[in-house]
Amino acid sequence: MIEQTHADPQAAQAAVEKFNAGDTIIGHVANSSAEHPLLHIGPFFGIDFSVTKHVFMVWAVAIVVFVAATWLVRRYLAQDRRVPTRGMSALEFIVEFVRDTIVAPNVGEKWVSTWTPLLLTFFLFILTANAVGLIPIFDVLSLLDHYVFHTAEDSLLKGLIHGGSTATANFNVTGGLAIITFFAILTAGIRANGFFQHWKNLVPHGLAWPIYILLIPMEIVSMFVRPFALTMRLAANMMGGHIAILAILSFVFIFADLFSSAAGVGIGIGFSVPLAVAISALEIIVVLVQAYVFTLLSAVFIGMAIHAHH
Amino acid sequence: MNNPLTVVDPGLAIWTIVTFLVLVGALKKFAWGPLLSALDERRATIEKSVEDAKRATAELQQVQEESARLLAQARSEASGIVTRSRADADRFREEMRQKAQEDAAAIVKNAEKEIQLETARAVAQIRTEAVDLSVAIASKLLRRNISAADNEALIQDAIGQFKQVQ
Repeated sequence: MIEQTHADPQAAQAAVEKFNAGDTIIGHVANSSAEHPLLHIGPFFGIDFSVTKHVFMVWAVAIVVFVAATWLVRRYLAQDRRVPTRGMSALEFIVEFVRDTIVAPNVGEKWVSTWTPLLLTFFLFILTANAVGLIPIFDVLSLLDHYVFHTAEDSLLKGLIHGGSTATANFNVTGGLAIITFFAILTAGIRANGFFQHWKNLVPHGLAWPIYILLIPMEIVSMFVRPFALTMRLAANMMGGHIAILAILSFVFIFADLFSSAAGVGIGIGFSVPLAVAISALEIIVVLVQAYVFTLLSAVFIGMAIHAHH
Repeated sequence: MNNPLTVVDPGLAIWTIVTFLVLVGALKKFAWGPLLSALDERRATIEKSVEDAKRATAELQQVQEESARLLAQARSEASGIVTRSRADADRFREEMRQKAQEDAAAIVKNAEKEIQLETARAVAQIRTEAVDLSVAIASKLLRRNISAADNEALIQDAIGQFKQVQ
């Protein structure tokens, strides 16, 4: 719906349905509907493995990150005299930033090379997935579809257009990433301290036994709360920013519906677009900070499992 | 709970996990592994270069000090040689001068001695010739053969006179 209205408020006003801000916003943030995925797979064991918009976005982001990083690194390493290009310098900056300021201080020098690849990939994957949401690729595609291609309702392009493009705004995606962190924490603790010692390290030793009755359940809960917090923090932040921008832009169509299209355009020029631009600028920071926070906290938790503080 | 924002979708979560793990594996093999080792290698190279540069600077300084020292030494030796040779030359000149003076003195002395000798010989010759001349003159004056006794007496008288002169 909003694709139409984006392009032409008058056309929206003339549309049969009235503009529904809530549905439009949700349609722009949520995954495409499971009933009409890009590709039906499953269900296996009661789980639907269909390729929805967010599965597609996860793949796209993974491919972009892999191709970009591998291309830069390969091209750099193929040189006789290794002079980093601009892109390579940027990648090196990120790599050294993650390794030297996120991984090394938390997991310690001994385990840096073990955990840098995972945490580096977390950072780049989340950063790219977050950033893709700020670029209106699919909005442009839907405009083209609406005015140029006129594809059928069940076409692949239509399937791609439906649903939000920020995979990290879906807590199933962030939950998947947090599950990896959860197992990374376990693996780190067990590899560093041995299987039994890792579980013993969860609580401080040498306390009076009644305290353990309280402490053991608490530590077990906190073990699960940490990845849960990671899941919610990232998804909610990415979702929130997009909802805010879309809500502000919705004023254009709400005012157009309520008064006249001139009022809608006026609100757009005077209020919605400047504020949306400002919030988008803020979103750039949020995109970076959330990728950083997820990576940093994962590193902190992995470090805590390695260097049990008791 | 019909909100599509809160739909639980385990399929998506599993796809995410699988995709992400494949991405981590692939990046580790093709990008992070080579890159991180290249970065470590480069850091080692830079550290080594800095170390080498430091050492080279130290060596250069040492060489400079050494050459400065050698130069100073050479300079002082050279000036010593010059001083010494100047002194040698002075001494040699002095010696030559003295020797020349001595030679000159010796030549003068020799010449004096020779002159004296020649003089003495000339005087003696003059005397002899004077005696002969006086005898000849005397006999001419007398125009006679004086007796042997007179002759003897005259000779003795002349010798006596001669000895007196001498």
